[in-house]
Order: sequence, then C-alpha cells, then structure tokens
Amino acid sequence: MKRYKKWIIGLVVLLLGGAGVIWYLFNLKYDDTATVKADYTVNAMDFIKEFKQDMAAANKKYSEKIVTVNGTVSAIEMADTTANIKMTDTTNGAYIIFAFQQQHLAEAKAMKEGEQVSIKGSCSNGAFSDILETEYITFKRCAVNK
Amino acid sequence: MKKTILSLAMVLATGLLFAQKKTTTSAVISFDATTPIDALPKAENKTVIASLDTKSGAIAFEAAVKSFAFSNPKIQEHFNSKGWMDSDQFATASFKGKINNLKEVKFNKDGTYPVEVTGDLTMHGETKTLDAKGTITVKGKVIVAASDFSVKLEDYKVSGGAIAAGKVAKEPTIKVVAEF
Repeated sequence: MKRYKKWIIGLVVLLLGGAGVIWYLFNLKYDDTATVKADYTVNAMDFIKEFKQDMAAANKKYSEKIVTVNGTVSAIEMADTTANIKMTDTTNGAYIIFAFQQQHLAEAKAMKEGEQVSIKGSCSNGAFSDILETEYITFKRCAVNK
Repeated sequence: MKKTILSLAMVLATGLLFAQKKTTTSAVISFDATTPIDALPKAENKTVIASLDTKSGAIAFEAAVKSFAFSNPKIQEHFNSKGWMDSDQFATASFKGKINNLKEVKFNKDGTYPVEVTGDLTMHGETKTLDAKGTITVKGKVIVAASDFSVKLEDYKVSGGAIAAGKVAKEPTIKVVAEF
C-alpha cells in the first residue's frame, strides 16, 4: 500500500506540474516594450544604410531584437484602427515603419511630421518591395522610448 | 475660351488623380487559425504594402511574415519556425491580381462596390491562384479595398503537429484592409 501511495503521489505531482507548464505557456504575454531593455540603439538613416548594404547580415543581426531607433518622423499613417510611424530616407525612398503596441497607440497619434523621436520596438525584418521598388524595414510592438 | 481651357484642365487633373497607381505601406492583414481547442493562433500585420491601379484594376500586396504580431510569444515563435511558415527562408507573402469587374467600380463616385478579384497568392514559397470576393469603398479621395477569404494550408505546404492535432485550423480565414 505504501508503495502504491508513493506512485499515486508521484503521478499527481507530475500531472499538476504538466498542467502548470501548459497553463504558463498558454498565458504567456509580451511585456510592455517600454519596459524592455533595447538590444541595440541606432540612428534611422544609418540603420537603413546597414540594411541596404547587406540585407541578409542586417536581418540576422536585428530580426526579432528590441531596437531603439532615433530619427525624424516622415509620415504618420492611419491604418484601419491603428497608426504607424514612418522614417524615410528621402534620397532613395527606403523607409522604416513602426506599428505600435495597443497601449502606446496614443503616443503614435500624437507625433508630428518632422518631429525628432526615439522609438523602441521589435524589429521584424528588412526586405525589398517589388511594389515600391525600395527597401523597407518593419517593426512591431513599438513604444516611445522615454 | 478661358472657361473651356479651365474645364479641360480640371477634367485632365481629375483624370490624373483617379488614374494613378495608389499605394500604401500601412495595409492590415489579419489571420485567424483558431480552433475550438486553441484560441491563440491569430495575428495581425499592420505594415503591409499594397497597391491599386484604378485604371487597370491591378491590385497587389506584400507582407513581411515576421510582422504578424501574436499576443503569445510561444505561438509567434512556432509561426515563424521551420515547421510552420519558415520565415527566415520565406520572408514575405505576396498577392498579385486583378479586379475582374472593374467597370462596375466608380472611383469618382462615393459608394461601396462589390468586387471579385483573381490573382496569385505566394506564401511559404508556393504560388496558387486565388479567387476572392471583396469590396471597394470610395469616400471622397479615400479608397478602401477589403476582402475576407480562407486558404488551405496544405496547398502552401504548411503542415505540422499542431495542425494535425487540431490546434491550428487547416483553413485559416484571412482579412485584408487597405486604405489608399
């Protein structure tokens, strides 16, 4: 009986542990980007230049990393229920675009064209657009860097 | 004479305004692959590039796969992994098509016009012809193209344990909204 007890307790502990891990994974959420430390801090135009020079190497370095980008707002694009901020290299049309986290949308909407800003977000990747015939770099889950 | 020239100039200007290829870098594509046993696999990409040629009816989209934002980091990781979208190798998904019933859309008159679009959808390195229904809404100078459709993941060679286990829908629904 004692031996069975041990087995039953072991099984219950195992089941509870497994359920806990599943519950934890299902309920994982991204942190507020404003509170996350950036892996890199860059100047917008230098950042674009780095992607234009070697897209593969830049993607390897920055993709899915938290990056703070300092630069000038070239456009605020209202998209469906959201607002994106753009920084554009006017010499060639290449651009960076930032999609904001829901809780930081008001910060994006308050920005003005020509304003110097610092934005922190998760760099998705850079690519060449066949439609626009230029390079672009996309960010998600952004916040104003304070 | 002056009036004629002015009228002609206005007609030309209006023609140019509505004939040009319109683009946006902030179209939104959302997809929903949730199932009764998993409500997590759904995401939104708010930085999609889109174009619409009001003269020819050509319509195109380009979406960076890694720009699809999930609420759960683990699902985001799975989505981009080799077993799913393999976004390191297939970084973008794209659509190039045409509005079949372009004559029924009056870009110079406010209204919502039902459209049928046919084109090639490329994702995960596979290209398939897609027919989709949607709408073009004209309001002043703003044109909004929208469509809801579904795709079979197996057509694009997207497979994996989560799909087989019923945690990810075999035919996710996709919603596209582009404001020009």
